Amino acid sequence: MRTPFFPGLGLAAVLLTAAVVSCSGGEDPEPSGVDAGDSTPDAGTPPVDSGTPDAGEDAGVDAGVDSGTPDAGEGDAGTPDAGDAGPGLPSVAIPDTLSGFGLFTGSPADGGLQPVEGNIPYEPTTPLFSDYALKSRTLYVPPGKTAGYHARDVLDLPVGSIITKTFSFPADLREPEKDVRAIETRVLVRQPGGWEAYPYLWNAAQTEATKASGGAVVPGIQLIDEAGVTRTFDYLVPSRNQCTKCHHVLDSAKNQVMVPIGVKARYLNRDHVYGAQAANQLQHLAGLGKLSGLPSLDEVPRAPDAFNPDEANLDTRARTYLDINCAHCHNPKSTAGDTSRLFLDIASTETLNLNAGVCKRPGSAGSGVGGEFDIVPGDHSVSILWYRLDTEESGKMMPELGRALRHDQASRLIADWIDAMPARACE
Amino acid sequence: MRCLPLPYAPRAVLVALLGLLALPACSDEEDDTGTPDAGQQVRDAGTQNDAGTDAGTDAGTQDDAGTDAGTDAGSSAAWPVDFSCEGKEQRTLTFNAGQEQELQNAVNDLAECTTLQLGAGTFHFNNAITIRQNGITIVGAGKGTKGEGTGGTASTVLDFSNAVGNSNGIDVVGKLFTVKDLAIWNAKKDGLRIENSTNVFIQRIRTEWAQENQESNGKYGIYPVKSTYVLVEDCEAYNAADAGIYVGQTRRAIVRRNVAKQNVAGIEIENTKYAFVEGNTAVDNTTGLVVFDLPGNPIKGTDILVVGNTITGNNRPNFASVQASSSTVSQVPAGTGTFILASRRVELTGNTWGDNNTVDIAVLSGLAIEPDPTQWQAGFFNFNSSDVYVHGNTFIGGSGDSVDNGTPDAERRPLGALVYAVYGYGAATQGVTHVEHLLWDGIDPAPRNETRLNGANICFTGNALPATTQASLVDFDLQAVSGHLRSSTPKLPEAWNETRRYAQGAAPFNCSGFTPGLALP
Repeated sequence: MRTPFFPGLGLAAVLLTAAVVSCSGGEDPEPSGVDAGDSTPDAGTPPVDSGTPDAGEDAGVDAGVDSGTPDAGEGDAGTPDAGDAGPGLPSVAIPDTLSGFGLFTGSPADGGLQPVEGNIPYEPTTPLFSDYALKSRTLYVPPGKTAGYHARDVLDLPVGSIITKTFSFPADLREPEKDVRAIETRVLVRQPGGWEAYPYLWNAAQTEATKASGGAVVPGIQLIDEAGVTRTFDYLVPSRNQCTKCHHVLDSAKNQVMVPIGVKARYLNRDHVYGAQAANQLQHLAGLGKLSGLPSLDEVPRAPDAFNPDEANLDTRARTYLDINCAHCHNPKSTAGDTSRLFLDIASTETLNLNAGVCKRPGSAGSGVGGEFDIVPGDHSVSILWYRLDTEESGKMMPELGRALRHDQASRLIADWIDAMPARACE
Repeated sequence: MRCLPLPYAPRAVLVALLGLLALPACSDEEDDTGTPDAGQQVRDAGTQNDAGTDAGTDAGTQDDAGTDAGTDAGSSAAWPVDFSCEGKEQRTLTFNAGQEQELQNAVNDLAECTTLQLGAGTFHFNNAITIRQNGITIVGAGKGTKGEGTGGTASTVLDFSNAVGNSNGIDVVGKLFTVKDLAIWNAKKDGLRIENSTNVFIQRIRTEWAQENQESNGKYGIYPVKSTYVLVEDCEAYNAADAGIYVGQTRRAIVRRNVAKQNVAGIEIENTKYAFVEGNTAVDNTTGLVVFDLPGNPIKGTDILVVGNTITGNNRPNFASVQASSSTVSQVPAGTGTFILASRRVELTGNTWGDNNTVDIAVLSGLAIEPDPTQWQAGFFNFNSSDVYVHGNTFIGGSGDSVDNGTPDAERRPLGALVYAVYGYGAATQGVTHVEHLLWDGIDPAPRNETRLNGANICFTGNALPATTQASLVDFDLQAVSGHLRSSTPKLPEAWNETRRYAQGAAPFNCSGFTPGLALP
């Protein structure tokens, strides 16, 4: 049952503080000067012809439409800054086929995709879960340019940078090298006007991937999971616009600005085998002249492998999982975070308070989501946060996009994390 | 409602705490009267000049709204625009049933100021239609009629029955967005979701789920949220598991001439400033038309004008109420015509209520669902309900005689259970057989001061009442009632004695509204 919840003076102090804080905040974070620098989160029509200066497209419509767009200001935005933009810079041509980028040789049908020189493969320490898809990733920074290091945010990647991620499924997760079928390759391009996303869908012959702006549903994907259980599901290739659902931050006018997610120092801070040589990925980039400002490695943060107990304690691993899987929406500068006030980025979960979900009633979670509070310390079974990442029910599961199956390991991890919190009743 | 924890708070503590609430006087008062957004926000619709001159023209123009008046007809047309297609290339792309993938590809490569013209018939989608562009219009051949899951010769139905999980129907972020003359059928989540957008026009659409009373239906039919200048008119919304038509966290909205039936909540105005709700029909929902703020949201709702709506027969069992939860709507007792919670400056006139089994209108404090004031900090402690002016309406009767349809559930719908208990006692021993037309929880301004009988300024005057009506308003004193009934030895007579009834015209509820009056839209 409920217990008295007004702990007297303690709360009075909180309340006073709250009042003061709220007074300095100002209530209407409404856009002011909407047009200045504009807004268009997705700079619209991507010029398909290389070399067309962006200014030409926009001339007369809204001078400066591009230059301001991507500067989301402080916070996680970081990435695109106005300095990069500018009417003179050429756009990256967007080909109809993946091979048109010239980023790879070969194909899944023919020995696998091989990144060309300068298109650098990488792996994060903990990946975003996508229905057990195998992912291979590359980063391309154009010749003569460098990415800027950030300790916390996404690396500051210059115009012309291209990030790719290829999603594949093996027939049997226990033998991930065998019978692999590539489904899609997602391409993020840093255009002068900001980041743009393009999905490419692999053909049945596995010889070419074709641009699929509208996304696709690939029905009846079947795989045998690590427990030997056959799983069948429909796989969603997100449409271009759906990419922004995860890949955005809000700028000061609360417009969505597209950004990459995983290209952060703490996730890149691990070894990768290049050729036959293992090297730290960040140092490798820096050695190629593609990354500037990298401090010595002992000063670079590192997110652990969320499922390797040797790398970090339970708390850090669980928070890391939430950070890479949830925080692109659940942070103070994203639409969903802004609405729900549930913040699961690694900084926000440092203190397990209300905004981190502890004893937090969701604003509008609807009914039937496992409980009344996002996290009930000590009891995952009545915690909405766990319920949503455990369930496979449409409308209730999280993340909103990119998952049809339960990530069993993660469900266990988050359950353990919640259960390990000192138990207390929520009010 | 959430469980009512007020009795568990020692009153002395509550008094001490709530006394502190006088401190944040620096709320958003400056917003409450003017046109907060018009000035800082946008260009002026009448005088704008798009061609490359935007950058400087709107800065600091404080009086845009005023200059519109002369040039624009109609209320929403007078809204300033944040984005305009005037002087820009405008194109139309036409799609017919069977061209779903072509449509999806086009939708994801749209140039601004494009119209998507959809032919008559049935479109089958396996994914949401996701729009992230400005100046987009989607127009079909007609919305068809209730129950039609397929399009005819003069209707366009977008069928999402076989879409992937977790997807909405149409999902929009953009400025100057219009959708009209189509139906959205069986969306997995929300039918039409519009977020972070400005100048939104939703006209003559229908959102519907095939099965009624399904908790697994999508939550919302029409769902504009966190937006500015939103018009929802001549639409229909059926069978949503939360709200048929929702307008939330929005500034400046007009919701008129819509029909909402068979939803949990018919029409829901949440954390919204400046809403004009006119001429809607909200019938056969669990609750018809609701106005509330939720805790934790930074927009403090205010200035809601509710005119000429029909809010009758909202007695549908709460099919979202499947387990204890924090969802406000899932805890509403069946038969609640209107509830107003944590809201202020709400005027209701020219409406018709009746045949709502629990009550026609309930006015509640936000503390009834979230008693911890700090949880309301984001919205400047916006838990109070005050300045509610109910006048010139018609109450046809038949309401309040079967609270929560006679099937109360203390765990899932605790407020209804308390009202049920008190009125069960009233009918048995006091000759009071109906809950009065307006039930006020008596909480605000907290803490309760028994010498100040109407500190919340709730006014109930000049309404047409059934001949049988005796008292028309009850001060339910929810906190005290809850204390008597939720103790280990529930005391019904004591609970009853805490409640007070007032006939229309009796002081202190015979006041005449608030000043300044509403000037909407």
